[in-house]
Amino acid sequence: VNPAVVALLATAQGHQQSGNIEAAAATLERALSIDPQNASLWHQLADLRLRQAQFPQAAQLAAKSNLYATGNRTLQASNWRIIALAKEGAGDASGAREAYQRADALEAGQP
Amino acid sequence: LAVAKAKDSKKRKGSRAGKPVPAVVPWRGWMLRNGIFLLVIVAALYTLYLDTRIRAEFEGKRWALPARVYARPLELYPGLLLSPEQFAQELALLNYQVLPTASRPGSYQRSDQDFLVASRPFKFWDAAEPGQRFRLRFSGGRVAALVNADSGVALPLLRLDPYEIGSLLPAQNEDRILVRRADIPPLLLQTLVAVEDRRFYEHSGVDAVGLLRAAWTNLRQWEIVQGGSTITQQLVKNFFLTQARTWTRKLNEMIMALLLEWHYSKDEILEAYCNEVFLGQDGRRAIHGFGLASRFYFGQDLAQLSAAEAALLVGMVKGPSFYEPRRHPQRALERRNQVLNLAAAAGVLTPAQAQEQRQTPLRVAPVPLGLSRFPAYLDLVRRQLRRDYRDEDLRSEGLLIFTTLDPLVQLASETAASQGLRELDKLRTAQGELEVAALVTNVANGEVLAAVGGRDPKASGFNRALLAERQVGSLIKPAVYLAALEQGYTLASPLQDVAVTLRDAGSEEWSPQNYDEQFHGTVPLYLALAQSYNAATVRLGMDVGIPPILDVIQRLGITRELPSYPSLMLGAAVMTPLEVAQMYQTLAAGGFVTPLRAIRSIVSAEGNPLQRYAVDVREAVASQPVYLLNNALQQVVQQGTARTLGQRLGRDLGIAGKTGTTNDLRDSWFAGFSGDRLAVVWIGRDDNGTTGLTGASGAMRVFAQIMKQVSAQALRLAPPDGVEWVWVDAQGLRSAEGCAEAVPLPFVTGSAPQQRGACGAPPATPLENTLDWFKGLMQ
Repeated sequence: VNPAVVALLATAQGHQQSGNIEAAAATLERALSIDPQNASLWHQLADLRLRQAQFPQAAQLAAKSNLYATGNRTLQASNWRIIALAKEGAGDASGAREAYQRADALEAGQP
Repeated sequence: LAVAKAKDSKKRKGSRAGKPVPAVVPWRGWMLRNGIFLLVIVAALYTLYLDTRIRAEFEGKRWALPARVYARPLELYPGLLLSPEQFAQELALLNYQVLPTASRPGSYQRSDQDFLVASRPFKFWDAAEPGQRFRLRFSGGRVAALVNADSGVALPLLRLDPYEIGSLLPAQNEDRILVRRADIPPLLLQTLVAVEDRRFYEHSGVDAVGLLRAAWTNLRQWEIVQGGSTITQQLVKNFFLTQARTWTRKLNEMIMALLLEWHYSKDEILEAYCNEVFLGQDGRRAIHGFGLASRFYFGQDLAQLSAAEAALLVGMVKGPSFYEPRRHPQRALERRNQVLNLAAAAGVLTPAQAQEQRQTPLRVAPVPLGLSRFPAYLDLVRRQLRRDYRDEDLRSEGLLIFTTLDPLVQLASETAASQGLRELDKLRTAQGELEVAALVTNVANGEVLAAVGGRDPKASGFNRALLAERQVGSLIKPAVYLAALEQGYTLASPLQDVAVTLRDAGSEEWSPQNYDEQFHGTVPLYLALAQSYNAATVRLGMDVGIPPILDVIQRLGITRELPSYPSLMLGAAVMTPLEVAQMYQTLAAGGFVTPLRAIRSIVSAEGNPLQRYAVDVREAVASQPVYLLNNALQQVVQQGTARTLGQRLGRDLGIAGKTGTTNDLRDSWFAGFSGDRLAVVWIGRDDNGTTGLTGASGAMRVFAQIMKQVSAQALRLAPPDGVEWVWVDAQGLRSAEGCAEAVPLPFVTGSAPQQRGACGAPPATPLENTLDWFKGLMQ
């Protein structure tokens, strides 16, 4: 991973710890423009949006992360958990259940 | 002290008015006494009125500040794909000067691939970027090393200050950069006082001694060297009064100057003066204040000015257009040296310093290209802003607007567009002036990097990139094929490229022809798209149905209503280049709509973040069919209608793209993307006449020229889960790897043909095949 991305991740974490979520998100976006296909950056951005209760965007960003997470079942499962929580947050119980099942299946090693 | 003096002067004025008058007749004396009393009352009331006015206006004085629009800051980090030439171009735009050892912020030194740069500090909305001296080494078109020059510590990344691309001026077109008293260099203030008002700190607004001395000096030298007005009077004049030279105005000026000094400190008056003073004209833009003048004439912040530069600005107060240093360098130089002499005489500079400064050249920066340098792009910014802000706020609140414009990409695109048109002008025989529009975006996040609105990119006329609604021709075909892929078609599905007859609602029957006026029989789906066969596409579209095609177009990000006729399948529908860019952006982003953005964030004049336009994604099309389609779009360039693109580019960027040509060769389009950049180019005539150009012979030429310079990363499509690669032969049957006339194609897992062709497949499973194929790619 590019050291610039590592440095930006550290900055983003700093912003997040001091409660400045939007600055953290902006810093992650800077990292993404350096490394746009980095699935874990997209995942972290999804996680931030979930913390901000921006449920639809959290789910979309998690899906975007999955686009680049080919073969990484652990990350895919985490993304599906974000999608599940986002659906729950948005009041979509059946969508959430489905997403949890996807996450569980990925963790159990099923396709 | 000032207050006491002002009061004192008021008393004096009172006593002047009450000068004893010989009383000859008692009733006359009575009238005089009462008349004088009345006069005193009137004078007092009038003074009170002026006083109220001054305090109200001075304290409530808020300059209408223009919104400043910035390009993206250049982010530097090891590994960044950037050539030393591009970096030097950025530094030149930012007006970094070449100085030995990069001795002051905003300067640099270069030896071939190595740069030593002293960057300027800049406060971004999320964090302040300190100014620092750093070394940058390039190697192989990349940043190889980035090190702090003073500590020797390696830097993971840094942001340069952003290039200012323009401002949205207030109603009177006054532009200024506010400076606070503490931020004005003492040297500049001392020089100003020495030249404009030597007794500024002694007088109380009006200076009789200074007036006499000025008159004497002027008389002695037979020219106007000094003016009689104090700095306070000048400020009053600019602030409150008209420029008319009448005695009443002069009297008002004096009274108000005294009042101003009574109420406010010398520092407050100086600060207001330094921000108000008029120092030049740039087109319709009026340059006010030393803060902006410093940027405008020297490309530097006020704090960084040398004594000579400060002296020139002070000297220009007397006659901003007469001493305009770009138009009248000799005059300006003489005036500057005169100011340096006055500064030395007043003890602001030592004689030796003054002597040394007199020897320096003017060193005026080239005319800043800032204001409306990129009108088409600024237009885009304004449109995005208007959704969220009132026009008057944009023009008066001093907002800082951080856009996504990449000036290097913008300049490269402008050059490519105008050069391309010049070449085409020579080549073609058709009549009518060609026009052009181009947009470049960042594949990663939908940021618009450049917009070209016409043949002359500096003209702020009709912005074709945003507004030209033209038929898109074959640019629409990817939507037809995507709808088919979503319905279960594969890239290997055999299509019939044979004559077909259609009827649009309310129109004659028509039979679409192919561009080469031939039909090609049975062709695999991917090849029909690559070769842009019309008959095959129409037959496919008829099978898919118009509603699903319209649905795909909408999901790709087009919100306008399109006609639901069969001719839609061949692009008999209008879109703007911006809409086309949005549609292809969704393809480039793997099926996620990423709304195109020209603005990242908006910051208030006080530095508080007001608004951020965050990355926004929305899954619109499943990633598998998009992956298949993008592979077919790469075939357009590999072997289809855009096969000469590779030659024009001179290197393999793996571009996925599509040509578009409309009836009678009216519009020439190309849209496509590499790994990092997406570009859309349109060429046509404003009168919608024929251009004599196809997408490949016109727009693609400009597209190639743009991509050649702005794209650093080849497109390597990442296969999503649920896709496998399978070799397929000319008959559309599964074959072994490397069989004659067989090609590897991606399929949604399980959709590849099962039947094996003559050239038998090995016993390996498709998944292993895929993995081997990829290993081969990676090696």
